[in-house]
Amino acid sequence: MWFRAEGSVGRWGFMLHRLTGLALSLYLGVHLVLLNQLRAGPGAWDAFVRLMRSPLILALDALLLGAAAFHGFNGLRLTLLGLGWAVRWQKVMLWASVVLAAACTVWVGARMICG
Amino acid sequence: MKAKAAMPSGSARGVLVWGLQAFSGVLLVAGIGLHWLAQHLVVEGGLRDYSQVVSYLREPLVLALETSFLVVVTTHALLGLRAILMDLGPTKRVERLLNLGLGLAGIGAVVYGIELTLELVR
Repeated sequence: MWFRAEGSVGRWGFMLHRLTGLALSLYLGVHLVLLNQLRAGPGAWDAFVRLMRSPLILALDALLLGAAAFHGFNGLRLTLLGLGWAVRWQKVMLWASVVLAAACTVWVGARMICG
Repeated sequence: MKAKAAMPSGSARGVLVWGLQAFSGVLLVAGIGLHWLAQHLVVEGGLRDYSQVVSYLREPLVLALETSFLVVVTTHALLGLRAILMDLGPTKRVERLLNLGLGLAGIGAVVYGIELTLELVR
């Protein structure tokens, strides 16, 4: 099964890709439901936005963006591998995905929370 | 080390689904970047208030981009969920039900998103 990640680094990358994909799919559903607040008008939406601007929520947003960044960069890696391209660089690309995702999380988190 | 997510070499349908998943994923790398930039990073406080949301969505190009983004992200997410569930080895009957359920969920999400958007910009 895909969630048994024992063995190679590549399998860890694959498992992490699926876990971040599941988390992002769940978030997509929640995000669409929360957007329904817009129907209730300016008062309800602006109160909701004030709640969403709390540092804890913004930190969670930054983590979410990190998950999306990893999923995106690693997805590009998996696409290249699927096409049989750059196979010898797959470990380097996996670590690059991790580093870029971490950098995105820190940069966006700092920007969102500190302004 | 073998590439686990290599393009399926079996059925034409499998290759098509893989291709659609990969293509929508590549579009999303740009789409999510743009969405995040427009909705969160360039906005003071990280989120648009009601009037900002409405005026943003009233731009025809933005409306087209956000609607396309919704279609692509929903397609990619549901194909990803399908891939995970297919790895559990469902029977043909369950696979058909799965395809139907995910297809309906996707159509529902897109119709809901478009209807909500149109209600806001009217």
